[in-house]
Amino acid sequence: MHGALPVTETMSPPPLLMARGLVKAYGSSRAVDGVDLDIPERAFTTFLGPSGCGKTTILRMIAGFEKPDGGSLVLDGRSLIDVPPERRPVNTVFQNYALFPHLTVFENVAFSLTLRRRSPDPAPRVMRALETVHMSEFGNRYPHQLSGGQQQRVAVARAMVAEPHLLLLDEPLSALDRKMRSHLQIELKDLQRRLGIAFVYVTHDQEEAFALSDVVVVMNRGRIVQRADPATLYARPANGFVADFIGSATLVAGTVMSGSAGQGMASMETALGIIQAPVVEGLSPGDPALLVLRPEHLALRREGPDRHFPAEWPGIVRHVVYQGSSYMIEAECAGILLRLSALMPPRIGESVAIGLDPARAFITRPGE
Amino acid sequence: MKLPLSRAHLAIPVAFLLFLGCLLPLILLLVFSVFTVDMDAFVMVPAFSPQAWAQMLTKPVFAFLIGKAVMFGLGTAVLAAFAGYPVALAIASLAPAWKGIASVILLTPLYTGEIVRIYAWRIVLGSEGLVNTLLMWLGVIHAPLKFLLFTPFTTHLVLLYNTLPFMVLPIWLSIELVDRRLIEAARDLGARPLHAFLRVTLPLTTPGLSVGLFAVFALAAGDMLTPSLLGGPSGVTPMSMIDNLFGTAFDWPLASALSLSLLLVLLACATVMSWLVLRLKGARAVFRGGMR
Repeated sequence: MHGALPVTETMSPPPLLMARGLVKAYGSSRAVDGVDLDIPERAFTTFLGPSGCGKTTILRMIAGFEKPDGGSLVLDGRSLIDVPPERRPVNTVFQNYALFPHLTVFENVAFSLTLRRRSPDPAPRVMRALETVHMSEFGNRYPHQLSGGQQQRVAVARAMVAEPHLLLLDEPLSALDRKMRSHLQIELKDLQRRLGIAFVYVTHDQEEAFALSDVVVVMNRGRIVQRADPATLYARPANGFVADFIGSATLVAGTVMSGSAGQGMASMETALGIIQAPVVEGLSPGDPALLVLRPEHLALRREGPDRHFPAEWPGIVRHVVYQGSSYMIEAECAGILLRLSALMPPRIGESVAIGLDPARAFITRPGE
Repeated sequence: MKLPLSRAHLAIPVAFLLFLGCLLPLILLLVFSVFTVDMDAFVMVPAFSPQAWAQMLTKPVFAFLIGKAVMFGLGTAVLAAFAGYPVALAIASLAPAWKGIASVILLTPLYTGEIVRIYAWRIVLGSEGLVNTLLMWLGVIHAPLKFLLFTPFTTHLVLLYNTLPFMVLPIWLSIELVDRRLIEAARDLGARPLHAFLRVTLPLTTPGLSVGLFAVFALAAGDMLTPSLLGGPSGVTPMSMIDNLFGTAFDWPLASALSLSLLLVLLACATVMSWLVLRLKGARAVFRGGMR
């Protein structure tokens, strides 16, 4: 069979799910406002955004619980628009698990396998699914006898036992405590690798999105703001919204002075002076822009200026917050509060110098 | 010592009233049922006589009447469940404002008195009544339908009509309490709407359904006016018999024995029903709060 593949498949494979111009309106407000999106096979894709940004609505449209008001949704080359939820090769892990309270763990997981008359004995597949999520001991329990983490595992087993082409997860860890959450994040990522099916995950938690995802889709006000892998999102945010929403950053407003599009560098005038740094595509001289400074790109100099840094400013320490492994420091330089981390804490009110390696800063579009 | 007062203690006054108003008369009935009657003087004679109970247990008419009451109760309850569930589903799917309107309409029959309703039914179902006139005018029939009035059919129909709100209301509330996401989960896992209903909604609404069955059973089994005023020759019930025995016949001991027997049988039926309900997984899940 090898070597007989059609030419198109040797090039980039077609996406598993394709959305074009997807719109969902509630009254006069548009929850989803013209979304174009490809979801690749075998990947872990996460929709990330503040509450009300439309990420859950997109998930519900893929599952079939909401009908789009416009646009197309194509899975495996087949339009989903008029397909009822029960006939989509898609399963969902719900936010509060939505386990059937009157059925045991075993019966919950077997639900999808026992709907058709003369379906084969579901027991082997149910047991395999329960083993996958380390719950095979709990088949006879009822949902109310399980902890949150255990219920979440059962919900995952129930959704994957039917072997969907796409598994949707709607903030499945948000009801759990921090420790259980990070534990289950690792399990989910591991499970997705082993199963090799596409996961589409919805969360408002940036750390969770980064821990899990191959691709993160950042949404705001019903639109996609940026779609990229976590490292790119962090280092090269498409605009001020992404820079602010993802990780900790100081955003300094200013104006683009000159740019060299080929090298992706520009110089920018800010209250901190003129800074030359990598720039987002599409900014021209004269455009308003934001300088994105991550805490780890700034360094604290307590004794005199240090010329290792091409850019350095005198400042006064305003806040010091102990964070366990380090201290978060806010220092005021030229009227701007710069946020950085340090291993040794300065005193509040101490005069310091803040150094920057501009090659690691980033110039991006403002707002939205 | 300070008495710990909880919300449960608020039920004490009502519990006391129930005790006085329910248990005391029952004790009286028990006492009366072993008395005898002096028919010449029209007075009850205190005694310890098995006479009334002997009559009660040996004459088949009493067992027959009680059996009939149970059958009317069960029959009406089952009919009301089938008729009421779709109504409850329909109300549950309305927009909130329409739900209020629907519940007012649903309860309208209860605002009119029972006697008014019964005479209204006579007008509707009589041989020159609404239904017969309409059917004859349409040419569907050529002579008035006789089974419409003063038959067991009439009794069943009107009992069903009278008790339907008591079936619809608890089922409706039960449906409202079912988490919508459970239905979505069932659909997501491949269940068509009918299957999602049968495997999720129906099991989780069994508490409402059984409250409805209990209420309708008790109302229909204990009803006297509807069978006696609309049931024609078939309209004799244990209730009308008790009424006669206490009143015109002045046989209080037998009336007491019949009352107690009817009560015991209805209680036994209710006990069996609740035992059955509590064996249902759906009902158990709801009662232990598993839907939250």
